[in-house]
Amino acid sequence: MADQSAHPAKDPLARIAAPAITSADATPVRQRRAGAAARILSGPLPWLLPALGVLGLFYLYPIFEAVRLAFTDARLFDTETQLSMRSISSMVGSSTLGVILRNTLTYTVASVVGQIALGLAIALLVMRAERARLRGTLALRTIVLAAWVIPAIANGIIWQLLFSEAPFGAINSALRLMGVAPVAWLSDPSNAMTSAVIATIWQGTAYSMILLYAALKTIDPALYEAAAIDNARPWERFWFITLPHLRAALVVNAILILIMTLNMFDTILALTGAGQAGRPRSCRFTPMARCSRISNWGAGPRCRCCCWSSRWG
Amino acid sequence: MVRSRAERVADWAVYAAMLVLALAFLLPVLWLASLSVRTQAEVFLGAARFIPEAPTLDNFVRVLRDGGFQSYIWNTVKLASLGAAGAVALAAPAAYALSRMAFRGKGPLMLAVLSVQMVSGLVVLIPLYRFMDRLGLLESHFGTTLLYIAAGIPVTIWLLKVSFDAVPRSLDDAAAMDGLSRVESFALITLPLALPGLISAFILNLILNWSQFLIPFIMLSADDKWPISVAIFRFAGSTSAATTQLLAAACLLAIVPALVIFVVLQRYILAALTAGAVKE
Repeated sequence: MADQSAHPAKDPLARIAAPAITSADATPVRQRRAGAAARILSGPLPWLLPALGVLGLFYLYPIFEAVRLAFTDARLFDTETQLSMRSISSMVGSSTLGVILRNTLTYTVASVVGQIALGLAIALLVMRAERARLRGTLALRTIVLAAWVIPAIANGIIWQLLFSEAPFGAINSALRLMGVAPVAWLSDPSNAMTSAVIATIWQGTAYSMILLYAALKTIDPALYEAAAIDNARPWERFWFITLPHLRAALVVNAILILIMTLNMFDTILALTGAGQAGRPRSCRFTPMARCSRISNWGAGPRCRCCCWSSRWG
Repeated sequence: MVRSRAERVADWAVYAAMLVLALAFLLPVLWLASLSVRTQAEVFLGAARFIPEAPTLDNFVRVLRDGGFQSYIWNTVKLASLGAAGAVALAAPAAYALSRMAFRGKGPLMLAVLSVQMVSGLVVLIPLYRFMDRLGLLESHFGTTLLYIAAGIPVTIWLLKVSFDAVPRSLDDAAAMDGLSRVESFALITLPLALPGLISAFILNLILNWSQFLIPFIMLSADDKWPISVAIFRFAGSTSAATTQLLAAACLLAIVPALVIFVVLQRYILAALTAGAVKE
């Protein structure tokens, strides 16, 4: 888009903008007509107000409420009557809190590292294939990205069907065909963590891949040619050229992936919770009711983990 | 260019790796498709019948005949597109101000907008639920759309700021000399030139909204108001092993629209995904 400025002649707007030079005498008339409204609109506030208003109302206010409610005895449908530290102390004193925090940490670190590593590997592979003019790179990119587009709830259901320990579970029935003993992917708590991480990585990798691929494209090929003249080995090229140039993109990518993974909830819910009849209802209300008493900054992981810990706790 | 023997061997290795990756990303969806065209008897044969011997479209017919399904899809289309349009409409002026005007606190404001994105929806869930209850907006598509808009605004502001930054400022100056007001110059010059960016932002919002689960899950309890994400989650919770093939068919039908939008408009989605991060 930026190159449009370099070719003003081709720009469709050049035609609109061009008369500006010849009709400068029209300016005072227009300005008078615009009047007070225009003066207000020349400041940033009216421009920002709609967006910031909505954010303030539906994001900022609830955040403050969450903090305030944490120090009261409020419940989901009852208003608070007094200030209380009970919510906080019951959360801090809860024996499951440690498990929950450890689960969150394991899940987040494993998922983020996995998504970035696999995303970088695919991006490098696609670059290598494009350099050799191999076919199918666009197809591979499209396939990987398609996983990213699948709604998280559907992703959870798909992986539940794959990990299922029933006869129709894809992975276990394939293992059985090969004569390998089936694995308790979801019912064994320690395997359930691995399964959730795999499902998350499968879906999220595309995002890292596409960001890092775009960043790889910006590296000057002349650097690699120079390295080839110097007889640099592949890992040396990667370590001394690719990685340093990717640093900014990797940091941005890591932050974005971290946010997405910390907010990940739907996949895990559908993966571990949806399969049992009657579960969704209790899953909807139990954590919410519990959180309304222990609601605070930790309410997020807490809510998520009420669902998790019922399986993993 | 003559390729050496070592390079040709490496090419085959690259091909092999690409094939493995493509399979790893295709197989889960193919498995879903395989389950969705099986009869109940073949579902229980597992991987041995990856390609069913007696494929049937019966499952799709049964899911589509269910009047509920059409309303779920319609609700999703409605919520996703209104939410995306609202987010773009509200974020555009804000992004314009952040791109074109100099004012105090601009840097911190942009950081604040971004950090809002970091707050999990789960943290605000309960206060938001109580707040919407007090406003009388629970159980309505109007209230749900407002929350979709709020959820989409931060990332949309960032995306649109990047596209507005790419429109030459000199055009604004020329417009001002011509006597155009800020609003006119925004509407007549910046917006049309940033159209690809606007479309990208709209489509990204559309896809994210198609996946949206938490907001409709807490806002809507009536079956006829649900979008597809909530519906298939509820359906998954109520199915047994005997109806797995129906769940697979419903799940496939739920992801197909998102996949079609993606494949057709891939260019815009890629533009949106890479816009913010590469132009650091």
